[in-house]
Amino acid sequence: MSNFAGSIFRGSLHEMLFPQLALHIPDGFLSLPVSLVTWGIAIALIATALDRVKGERQDQTVPLMGVCAAFIFAAQMINFPIPGGTSGHLLGGTLAGVLLGPWAGTLVMTVVFIVQAALFQDGGLTVLGANVFNMGLIGTFGGYYLYKVLRSSLGFNSWRGMSFGVTIASWTSVVIASVATAIQLALSGTVPLAVALTAMLGWHILIGIGEAIITLMATSYVWKVRPDLLYDPPQRSPLPRSLVQR
Amino acid sequence: MLLHIGAFQLDVNSQGNTPWHGLAPRTRVLFALLFVFATALTPNERWGTWLIYAVGLMGLIILSRAALSVLLKRVAVESSFISVVLLGTLFRGGGTVLWQWGWLQITSVGLAVLGSVTTKALLCLLMLNLLVLTTSIPALLHALAELKMPSLLVAILASMYRYIGVLIEEFATMRRAAASRNLLSTARGKRLVTGNMIGSLFIRTYERGERVHHAMLSRGYTGLPPTIECPQGRLQDRWAIVTWVILLLLGQVVYFL
Repeated sequence: MSNFAGSIFRGSLHEMLFPQLALHIPDGFLSLPVSLVTWGIAIALIATALDRVKGERQDQTVPLMGVCAAFIFAAQMINFPIPGGTSGHLLGGTLAGVLLGPWAGTLVMTVVFIVQAALFQDGGLTVLGANVFNMGLIGTFGGYYLYKVLRSSLGFNSWRGMSFGVTIASWTSVVIASVATAIQLALSGTVPLAVALTAMLGWHILIGIGEAIITLMATSYVWKVRPDLLYDPPQRSPLPRSLVQR
Repeated sequence: MLLHIGAFQLDVNSQGNTPWHGLAPRTRVLFALLFVFATALTPNERWGTWLIYAVGLMGLIILSRAALSVLLKRVAVESSFISVVLLGTLFRGGGTVLWQWGWLQITSVGLAVLGSVTTKALLCLLMLNLLVLTTSIPALLHALAELKMPSLLVAILASMYRYIGVLIEEFATMRRAAASRNLLSTARGKRLVTGNMIGSLFIRTYERGERVHHAMLSRGYTGLPPTIECPQGRLQDRWAIVTWVILLLLGQVVYFL
């Protein structure tokens, strides 16, 4: 296991310089009130998600959530080029929501953040609540419901509705999460609001494009190969029409 | 940010025979939690507090005989966040202006925030890295369960930790297959293949999850994670915690003197 890193991600200079614009806030960046409020929300969210998922998946919970969290963790490590010349990596909030549903998706994302904060110091412990709030609640929960509304209004069982929903929801969730991060940084007095918003938005409008493309590709693959694995599978005739008609 | 994952063995110094290693993992986790929360949530510009905390942390690092080179290397990789605060410092108004060049200006308030946030973040990083460097991951998970983290959550964390390596290997294999067919030569191709790879890995992951579930059922799994019995804290652990809390409180009191 020692040399898989080199083969998977080449840390470009950009990644070295701008990882913190990638929404993982470190310890010491948020003030006491902001930390407390976001921790409170995050604990309530985690408790509800655990409860819901346990009711939904029964004794499948531990193995399924475990491997899916490992999946998101691995997917986040892959760099890919974003149109415009930079490179980025997946955040995966909306992808988790679309594939696993809002509660399981949120739980999986939370588990990923806990492991990143506790073992890899990628994002702090005191700000874990804020990170869960930004990317678990806004990114996954918000992203899932935005996707669902869009997909329902454009045709629930058509690829057109699905693709629009996924693309717009994944871009929007990343951008809104970055706005939330900027507001938290400003409320804590770490970075002035105007600067935080400019830097965060400017960077994440671009990052969001990459997120949208990759999320769209990944869901299109699942849609083609195993649509039954989607949380909201499309209703289709069991066999392709050409076979049914014969 | 995960660049040092290349050295996936995080606990380089977990086999030690020092007073720090003598403490139960639960006590060490508690040490780190108390320290990080006390440090990070102290308001800006309380230099005296952090000086005391830094001295306490230095004591721990020396006591644990952790590999200083590994510790500092990891903290250095993780410290790229300073660029963000620097950005905020350069464009901030308020206080006296110390330096100005067009839009850029450095003010006394900006410098104070830069210094405070950087100090807090560095201290927290050092403490957490010390913990992870000296404690194996199973021991950490066990300690979290003992500290009343929901056992379902701990079980999911443990299961995730077990499969990270497997899934990363699988990704590397897929990528190698794509590269050997020359599909990763253009940016467009890279995006296409990466997206499809992620979709395909999700299907494999889900099927793996079901397989693991069946295997667990066949061994008599009932859906309840095994309960973890919580040993009584030993005297030395209690004394260590009390000393540590007194040090942390002392740091807070210093500000008001």
